[in-house]
Amino acid sequence: MGGTFVVYSDKPQLVLELIGFCTGAGRKAVALAFDAAVAEECAAKGADKVLFFNSGINLPEAYCQQVAEAITGEGAEGFIVGSTVRGREMAAKVAALLNWPLASDVSRVVAGGGELEIERLTYGGAVVQQEKVRLPAVVTVPPGKFEPSSKPKAGAEVVALSAEPDGRYTLLERTRIERQGADLANADKIVCAGMGFAKKEDLKLAFDLAAVLGAEVACTRSVAEERKWLPPDVYVGISGATVKPRLYLTLGVSGQVQHIVGARDSGLIVAVDVNENAPIFSAADYGIVGDLYEVVPTLIDALKNA
Amino acid sequence: MANVITCYKWVIDEKDIRINPDRTVDMSRAQRKISEYDKNAIEAGIRIANRLGARPVGLTFGGPEAKQSLKDALSRGLEAVYWVGHPFAAAADGMVTARVLAAAVQKIGDYNVIVCAEGAGDTYARQVGPRLGALLDLPVITAVCEVEVDGQYLVATRKLEDYVEKVKVSMPAVICVLPEICEAPVPTLKAVLAAGKKPAQELTPQFLGLEEADLAPGISVTGVLGYVMNRKNIILKDGDVAARVKELVAYLKKEGVI
Ligand SMILES: Cc1cc2nc3c(=O)[nH]c(=O)nc-3n(C[C@H](O)[C@H](O)[C@H](O)COP(=O)(O)OP(=O)(O)OC[C@H]3O[C@@H](n4cnc5c(N)ncnc54)[C@H](O)[C@@H]3O)c2cc1C
Repeated sequence: MGGTFVVYSDKPQLVLELIGFCTGAGRKAVALAFDAAVAEECAAKGADKVLFFNSGINLPEAYCQQVAEAITGEGAEGFIVGSTVRGREMAAKVAALLNWPLASDVSRVVAGGGELEIERLTYGGAVVQQEKVRLPAVVTVPPGKFEPSSKPKAGAEVVALSAEPDGRYTLLERTRIERQGADLANADKIVCAGMGFAKKEDLKLAFDLAAVLGAEVACTRSVAEERKWLPPDVYVGISGATVKPRLYLTLGVSGQVQHIVGARDSGLIVAVDVNENAPIFSAADYGIVGDLYEVVPTLIDALKNA
Repeated sequence: MANVITCYKWVIDEKDIRINPDRTVDMSRAQRKISEYDKNAIEAGIRIANRLGARPVGLTFGGPEAKQSLKDALSRGLEAVYWVGHPFAAAADGMVTARVLAAAVQKIGDYNVIVCAEGAGDTYARQVGPRLGALLDLPVITAVCEVEVDGQYLVATRKLEDYVEKVKVSMPAVICVLPEICEAPVPTLKAVLAAGKKPAQELTPQFLGLEEADLAPGISVTGVLGYVMNRKNIILKDGDVAARVKELVAYLKKEGVI
């Protein structure tokens, strides 16, 4: 098919997935890198060309003008960006500078000649929308959609560019987030606590059940943001974490779409809720209709003896 | 007096969306509301305006029905609201929306901060804020969970996947705020009554100098399907608690998760 896509992500693994997408779509992949090691890795693992912004970078977003110019310089018909906070900002600004459309957070993307067919979720995950995007265009792609490329291409080169950042930005501080709660992204099993819990102390039931199952404890946004019973990094959903455990077991969670969208790809979904009509039951493989205060102690005992 | 402009969207209330068994989507009975995230953004805009001694105003772009949002927006404490209501909004993508908002912001003029929510409750594309900033040639900070004013500068704390960053930009600037920036109080009755007396100004695309080409989207929707979860839906509701639990444990064993 020919043509060039420029790719960028601040997550090195995601860059390789985006290169994989370009190669699969029959396009030349030009990777942007702001770090020498990442530039070398891209060149060694399948980029046709790497543009290395050798600028002592601390905020890639402060280089959008240069990125837009580089994309034009490559004669590219697409800018494919990893969907992270930084990536989305870069994608949107560059789209504006180039006057290109931008399809965000696509759950599926197929590149044809002259256009892309994409799928994305809207209304908090209740609706799947199919869209046609005319090229040239910008797309942001979440992690895990494409196989990372791994083999070098003949003649791959790294071109170093020097660039002045936009002087209106100053990075004052960068602090790694110390996770206060569980590492949900890698959890094998998760117990999720919802507003069905009457008091903070009662969450002990969720932790006890988690201990028996070997699970981590997560919660809904209401439990974290309204009640502030658990840290915000452990709430699951469209505005929180996306998780994919083998077992996702909810206690007193109604199952609104904004919540369950974050756990949709779990292996098995199990729900405990008093309300037989709660939407969580249509999202669950197994469910118990019942008061969690009765069900959980019984379940803990049964699991201990199982 | 300088303006702090908060952009908001009048969206379909997702809780009124019906998904039919054939996965078609029924929005015919859906009410509209100010996007939840935008309610927090409006409050954030008001607080920033207070700190700057500026005037907090709202700006929305939508179909003709967006007119119904004005009173709600004003009752949240904005002093004036500007709106662009036109049927082409139904087909607008982020590119068109940002162009319309940029033209409107320039028309409103004398602004020092533009506040957007990180994303809208319907599309959640998270592109309009940074896009608007680039069109207006203003610095942008996204994913903001805290913001302070420091003389001519905004200092914002932003949340990335693994890091928290403190970034300083010169004003005027665009910030895109996360809902945790501040709570969005429910308007008081007094505020609702006062809203009727505050100014709301329509800005038509012609008045903004927008031409047909500016309003042509690059993305078209070709299909809309309800999301369905294909799950087993085995719901245990009969017998006493012990019996239901026993049955569940047997299933969990069979599934190999315990
Ligand atoms: C724009 C937007 C974004 C959002 N993003 C998120 C998000 O990322 N994550 C998120 O979680 N939410 C999110 N929400 C909120 C979401 O819509 C729901 O309001 C929230 O998930 C509800 O939390 P919950 O299930 O804990 O509470 P509720 O909806 O109040 O449900 C509590 C459940 O507990 C049951 N219950 C009560 N007592 C008992 C008992 N004794 N035993 C058993 N069951 C009991 C009730 O029957 C009910 O089903 C968002 C909302 C909006 C509008």
